[in-house]
Amino acid sequence: MRTASLELGPTADPVDRCRHCGEPCAGGAVRTLAGPFCCAGCESVFAILAAHDLDGFYACEVPPGVSQKHAEGRDRSRYAALDDPDVAARMVVYDDGRRARAMFSIPAIHCASCVWLLERLWRLDSGVFATEVDLLRRTIVVDYRPVATTPRLIAERLASLGYEPAITAEDGSAPPPAARRRLYLQLGVAGFAFGNMMLFSIPRYVNGAPLDAGFQRLFDGLNLLFALPVLLFSASDYFRNAWRACRARAMTLDVPIAMGLMALFGRSVIDIAAGRGEGFLDSFAGLVFFLLISRVFQQRMFERIAFDRTYRSFLPLTVRVERDGALTPVPLERVRAGDVVVVRAHEIVPADAVLLGAGGAVDYAFVTGEAAPVAVGGGERVRAGGRAAGSAMRLRVLRDVSHSDLARLWQNPVFARPKRRWLADVNARFGAWFTASATAVLIVACPCALTMSAPIALGTAAGLLGRAGLYLKDPAVTLDLSRIDTVAFDKTGTLTSAAERPAVETSGFAEDAWTLVQTLAAASAHPASRAIAAADHAGTAGQTQAASPTTAAEIRRADRPLRPAPRATGVIDVVGQGICGSVSGTRVAIGTAAFVEAQTGAAPDGPEDAIFAAAGDARGWVRVFTQARPGIERAAAALSHAHDLVLLSGDHQGERSRWTRVFGPRMRFRQTPDDKLAFVRDARERGRRVLMVGDGLNDAGALAAADVGMAVSDDTACMAPACDAVIDGRRLASLPAFLAYARRARAVVILCFAVSIGYNAIGLALALSGALTPLAAALLMPASSLTIVGLSSGAMRWSGRRMLPA
Amino acid sequence: MSVIVLLIVAGGMVAAGFLAAFAWAVQSGQFDDTCTPAVRVLLEERPHTTQEGIADVDLDS
Repeated sequence: MRTASLELGPTADPVDRCRHCGEPCAGGAVRTLAGPFCCAGCESVFAILAAHDLDGFYACEVPPGVSQKHAEGRDRSRYAALDDPDVAARMVVYDDGRRARAMFSIPAIHCASCVWLLERLWRLDSGVFATEVDLLRRTIVVDYRPVATTPRLIAERLASLGYEPAITAEDGSAPPPAARRRLYLQLGVAGFAFGNMMLFSIPRYVNGAPLDAGFQRLFDGLNLLFALPVLLFSASDYFRNAWRACRARAMTLDVPIAMGLMALFGRSVIDIAAGRGEGFLDSFAGLVFFLLISRVFQQRMFERIAFDRTYRSFLPLTVRVERDGALTPVPLERVRAGDVVVVRAHEIVPADAVLLGAGGAVDYAFVTGEAAPVAVGGGERVRAGGRAAGSAMRLRVLRDVSHSDLARLWQNPVFARPKRRWLADVNARFGAWFTASATAVLIVACPCALTMSAPIALGTAAGLLGRAGLYLKDPAVTLDLSRIDTVAFDKTGTLTSAAERPAVETSGFAEDAWTLVQTLAAASAHPASRAIAAADHAGTAGQTQAASPTTAAEIRRADRPLRPAPRATGVIDVVGQGICGSVSGTRVAIGTAAFVEAQTGAAPDGPEDAIFAAAGDARGWVRVFTQARPGIERAAAALSHAHDLVLLSGDHQGERSRWTRVFGPRMRFRQTPDDKLAFVRDARERGRRVLMVGDGLNDAGALAAADVGMAVSDDTACMAPACDAVIDGRRLASLPAFLAYARRARAVVILCFAVSIGYNAIGLALALSGALTPLAAALLMPASSLTIVGLSSGAMRWSGRRMLPA
Repeated sequence: MSVIVLLIVAGGMVAAGFLAAFAWAVQSGQFDDTCTPAVRVLLEERPHTTQEGIADVDLDS
């Protein structure tokens, strides 16, 4: 029926869309009586659901299914790990032998139909009593009979429907339920106290006449009684955070808030004790109440993206492990103590390990901030988070790996450099005067703009940006992004993509010599090396061939051994020049002509823009045609209207002409990591606000030094812990929209300040003319707070829908 | 005067009762998920065979 309307309707879709997932049907499409399907996987899920009378799943407008196109050949046996009680224990939250409860995280959950289907899982699996879906956090809780089914069977069943549970290490990203409940309780207590205190205050607001002294004392005492739990319980997190910031000598927004709260409370207590009046305890409780409302907002926004796009999904996912004489990519959480892993140059060592074979150098810049590589001898210990400098390393892992280790690394305080520079800037400009007056402003003026508009607007912006593919480490980075005036791009891996399957052209190598070159290239993580290593077979002169998939995702999907032995030994990697080493006793070098000549003694001949290589007596050249990311040139052109664009490339000038149109003369080639760092530092000293976009491979220092360091993620094994934001490589072309959205966020915050000041000006004018009754004043404050909440959240959502890519 | 004190105490107790009810609701998990219940009602359940009726069907066969 649906297909008929598609074909006959006046607004008929020219392309057949999959009955299950709604994707266009192209090659590999399956057509049945029920309708077209984009792939056999979708068709089989549809058949399962139809057979179990579950086709209510398709009741909504858009076909809700999860496309199965990429699921074929995916290794279902990975859920075998759930038979291991230790692994299963991460999922199973309760088990008494007759009834058990397990919790799975399923990133594919996205709509009402998913909820409907997954909560009817019992119709598909007789061992399941009931399921409950949490749409926001993308989790599912399954109650089942342990004798009838197992977590593994349930996981496989879910996977067969397209809802693949994520088997991850323990997850610390979402606040535990206890912390979330605590926030609601704090809010409840503050609201309770605020409401009651307003009741006691109304007589005074409505009727200016002084109260009977007995009532006055009674009301003061009750106000104090209600204010205490607000101070001690509801506001406790602000005091704790402010104290932590003070000890770290950092300035965060919590410091003036805590000072303002203490001043309000202290002043009120002194006033009451001295009999000078009733103080501002009702304002105090109201302020805490509204602060907590904005915090609930912020938390909801963050949870919305927590399971969708956290930095976790950008971390290295696989490590190459030697098993049965071959290198196999293994998911990080399956690496066990005792495994031998191979870490290529510039890759992160995922776990504490012992170096095998000859010595090497490790750079602990990510752990200690010290960039100079440390020499490590064979048999010595290498700590997790170090980065292989110069050459690939073989390591024996000392203890099991978990994603959370690497996540913790990124959160390491070493990288918490003076964030919120905008606040630090203001502080430096106005000094103690600002800090002191901030408190005064908090008490006198309406505090809504400062305390509510920034967290809500920035939190909403960070959440929506995260959904669009730009993950910010901290919502305040939005403000830094909004003030950027210079954008520096790395070229390889940033403007061009490792995932775009570069074409490789070679000349001068026979099959066996080419194999040697490829083996050496496999030791390096440089995009050009990866392209060479992944090229299918030896090319004859002038032959162009597409490299096979190089991304970790595709390798993982195929789950095949990457490359058999032999291995390159004694590899030396000189940044910006090339790498050399021995393979099966033959001296091999890849790099610039001068480098190859210096290493092997004979200069190869070839086109000027080629990479040269020598393996024993064989000499030749390789040309890697990296593809620019789709849309990147248009994006750069759009950025160049309002920003200075700079290209910092570690490569030769061969591609200069290609980028001239976009970057003009501002291109620097043959840049070492230190050159890039120096450029960024220099630009910042000249007062520029620099956004550095790089892949973290040769520009980690520049990423850390820039106002905003943005690492491009392509599912590669490189990570830049010192960056402020991670952008999905496929979304890099949307960078102009992201920057415009960040500027919009700042405009909204400023607008909120204006509105707040406007409210206060009206109040002041009314008060001066004698028209402001205390009751009107009391109503003005919540009215202004509600306006601020509505404005900051609504404007960011509205702009997000219009400005951000879907 | 004293009757107002009585009223304040009574009013405070009612409010405290609501606070306690709110605390109970939070602790029993009613605020843990404020999103899914809203979409759960969107799709209807059609009459279908009972759970027992299909309990023996093996998906993989």
